[in-house]
Amino acid sequence: MHISEGVLSPPVLLAGAAITAVGTAIGLKKLDYDRIMTVSLLTATFFVASLIHVPIGPGNVHLLLGGLMGIVLGWSCFPAILVALLLQSLFFNFGGILVLGVNTTIMALPALICFYIFRPWVEKNGHKRKIAAFGAGFCSILLSACIAALALWSTDQGFARAAQLILAAHIPLMIIEGIITMFTVSFLAKVQPEFLIMGK
Amino acid sequence: MMDERFATGNSLLHKRDPKVKVIVAAAYITVAAISNSFAVVSLALALAFLLLLLSRLDLRQVGKRLLAANTFTLFLWLTLPLTYGGEELTRLGAFSLSVEGIRLAALISLKTNCIVLSLITLLGTSRIASLGHALEGLHVSRRLCFMLLFSYRYIFVIYQEYQKLKRAAGMRCFVPATNIHTYRTYGYLFGMTLVRSWNRATRVHQAMLLRGFNGRLIPLEQRTVASNDIVFLVIGLAITATVASIPFFYR
Amino acid sequence: MIELRDISYTFAQAKDPVLHHLTFAVHDKRIGIIGPNGCGKTTLFHLMVGLLKPDEGELLFNGKKVSTKEELRALRKEVGFLFQSSDDQLFSPTVIEDVAFGPLNLGFSPKEARDVAMKTLADLGLTGFEDRITHRLSGGEKKLVALATILAMRPKILLLDEPTNNLDPKTRSHLIEILLGLDLHQIIISHDWDFLSHTTSILYKIDHGHIHRCEENHVHVHRHLHIAGDHPHQHDPL
Repeated sequence: MHISEGVLSPPVLLAGAAITAVGTAIGLKKLDYDRIMTVSLLTATFFVASLIHVPIGPGNVHLLLGGLMGIVLGWSCFPAILVALLLQSLFFNFGGILVLGVNTTIMALPALICFYIFRPWVEKNGHKRKIAAFGAGFCSILLSACIAALALWSTDQGFARAAQLILAAHIPLMIIEGIITMFTVSFLAKVQPEFLIMGK
Repeated sequence: MMDERFATGNSLLHKRDPKVKVIVAAAYITVAAISNSFAVVSLALALAFLLLLLSRLDLRQVGKRLLAANTFTLFLWLTLPLTYGGEELTRLGAFSLSVEGIRLAALISLKTNCIVLSLITLLGTSRIASLGHALEGLHVSRRLCFMLLFSYRYIFVIYQEYQKLKRAAGMRCFVPATNIHTYRTYGYLFGMTLVRSWNRATRVHQAMLLRGFNGRLIPLEQRTVASNDIVFLVIGLAITATVASIPFFYR
Repeated sequence: MIELRDISYTFAQAKDPVLHHLTFAVHDKRIGIIGPNGCGKTTLFHLMVGLLKPDEGELLFNGKKVSTKEELRALRKEVGFLFQSSDDQLFSPTVIEDVAFGPLNLGFSPKEARDVAMKTLADLGLTGFEDRITHRLSGGEKKLVALATILAMRPKILLLDEPTNNLDPKTRSHLIEILLGLDLHQIIISHDWDFLSHTTSILYKIDHGHIHRCEENHVHVHRHLHIAGDHPHQHDPL
């Protein structure tokens, strides 16, 4: 879910850039050289997630897994998502350069919110963990779609309908991301519980 | 797919220092992206085509990229004229076509193509690794550049690892469908990919420590900015400024 | 040289120590280490270069205890460690950048580092590989390039962790040739007896957390069943 370059107005671009700059600065500050390799490779892994297409009905969607990134990486999700989106625009010419700030905010801010809301529950065992993981996957997409819609709407009220369409189109993805995040988190809790204690 | 297909070549653009290209690209894309003037955006697009000629890239490959980028503009053409409101151009049955909507869709289409072309010709003509070092040379945070360089380096490895896992699932007759079993399988496949990346990161980090790494990546290629690069920078920025100033002459 | 004195190490979440009051010193030039999977061979290497900290005991380098970061760096400069998986060892986009990475960290200028790297590649018969993309190399090429990245730092001791895994016979004999031509201490972990018999003169075995020297080699005749035995094949002469 990203907005193309050339759509948004300068104030919206600036706001996104500012949020991303602050988030990235904090994220990098909390990241030392002993963990930076882990975060870099997880960034690459989440980039790979965006190449995974899962079926839904007759079509398919690609994964975003912002909620999972938030849970695992904490504040580091800002630099991680910024880097992943930059690579995406260099590899595929998706998105752009100026709009990176907004696009990073669209994914990273919900991820960070999920970190604060759901992470404490993910550390617990059993159903609480499952529900929290589902919530993180679901809410991250919901919030991302809302921020994307808000960015479009504040650029030009004429985008209102398009923004609503974007929101509606993401409802199936919210459910799928919730389910997959739930399974991945229970997998990690069993196989490598360190995942759920990093990012602090 | 992720093969940096535009990075190899011997054109004028390929030879420029990536630092210089980053600066020109940033300025040029900024002007094109925030302008509201058809004159500016059309001229910028025309100049981007000129860059394409200079870059001597395979036009068919570039065309494919442009086509992919235009799926988004297609979405705009399908929604904006119908939903934007305002002055009505004409009616198509129950739908009214908005003048403003068409104008906006056209403007964004021009911008999108201009920006994608600039990205390909200015940044795509360098390898991502060189761009990472160039960003470091331009005083972008060292840690951020480290993350860029290493996530770039391992994307291929991790993608292959994921595909191996998926193939292994396929060998055991896994057929993706819309059901919980499929989503559980994808969740586990991705979880396993994460675990492997984690463990690989630990080993790579160890390998770097053993070879004396202490936090600073020293590029092997110490590019010095040549006089040609300076000329390119000055011309690039001058053209950008000229394009940006068109609306002021109009009035 | 390197010495581990009275070392014990237990993995997190494990009950029993994998290495138990173990003492091991590198005096001989060519040492082979054998032992079953999971007996702690790789762990031994990790302890020798300070990637793991022992629960008990100490690591000595040239007779002195290694504890500070600087002492560890000095040790790692002299000890090259070839990982089991080359994919973990090669992390730069191109071969030349990867081979030059160590020399650059040692303070060489980019030009010197490039020269050292080119010379190392040439020594290993890898001339022409410098601009290849590391992750697209074949398994055997990766192994040799990984060796080049280590040799470029001019180590005095070489630790090799199962170097012949997944190598084809040609690359394997090339590797033997290279190792025999290197005048430095070599410690090799391997399950490949034939490889060890070519490259090492002394064998150690790790067993139940301890390390002990194996008996001297003795010649014996043995019979074994060959799959596809009707195809002509050759045993390496002793």
